[in-house]
Amino acid sequence: MNAIVVLAALLGLVLALPIVARADDSAASVVRFQGNRFEPAELVVKAGAPLQLRVVNANPDAIEFESFELNRERVVQPGQEIVVYLPPLDPGTYKFFDDFHRDAGEGTITAR
Amino acid sequence: MRARIVAAMMLALTGAQAIRFERSSPPVKSDLAAPPAVDSALRQACYDCHSNETRWPWYTAVAPASWLAHYDVVEGRRRLNFSDWRAYAYDPGTRLQKLDEIRRLVLSGEMPPWYYRALRSDTHWTEAQREDVLRWTAAEIAAQPRMP
Repeated sequence: MNAIVVLAALLGLVLALPIVARADDSAASVVRFQGNRFEPAELVVKAGAPLQLRVVNANPDAIEFESFELNRERVVQPGQEIVVYLPPLDPGTYKFFDDFHRDAGEGTITAR
Repeated sequence: MRARIVAAMMLALTGAQAIRFERSSPPVKSDLAAPPAVDSALRQACYDCHSNETRWPWYTAVAPASWLAHYDVVEGRRRLNFSDWRAYAYDPGTRLQKLDEIRRLVLSGEMPPWYYRALRSDTHWTEAQREDVLRWTAAEIAAQPRMP
């Protein structure tokens, strides 16, 4: 029984390694779409470092996370979340919006 | 009366030429690498608006055609730019969505727009070219690893 538990733990560790490795070289941020707006609407991240942006859609209908400046376009189904991978950003401010609800508030990512 | 209308139209058309837009062709950052037949088809019918290698015919220097051309190129490059394909590839989900949209719009016949096809007979695809593009997008989508 103990051997099975140890084996399962080892297997879990091995499977988690790539995730841990990716998380180590990228910073992570979360933005949530709820009530027709992004929260937070302004994200500040470190310039020159890759970023994993988790986008959570808490709205009852699908959204399309889009940024022309970041060259990103992803549909997020209601109640789902996605991870947007971004390369090291130059210092500056980058807009994003929901292309399915253009009346919704925009958001920005500022790299400093 | 007719002479006045014609004169007013000529005046408006002349005045319209004052509103000019730059016909830009920025450097290619990382062009899409597709099989030659697909590359050729995309260049023929899509690259004018969806790349930095836009061909600007003479009438795109004359208002009001120049306004429409400028809008289509700016908006087209924002939505999908084959000259910056590596930027999409960094985020597998974005790359997948771009491929899926290419496939959907080619299947539905929405792209290229009808007025572009009407103006540019040299951009029309043969059925074989259309099939090449559809097969390529299907294969790329199938080969793409799924990520959260």
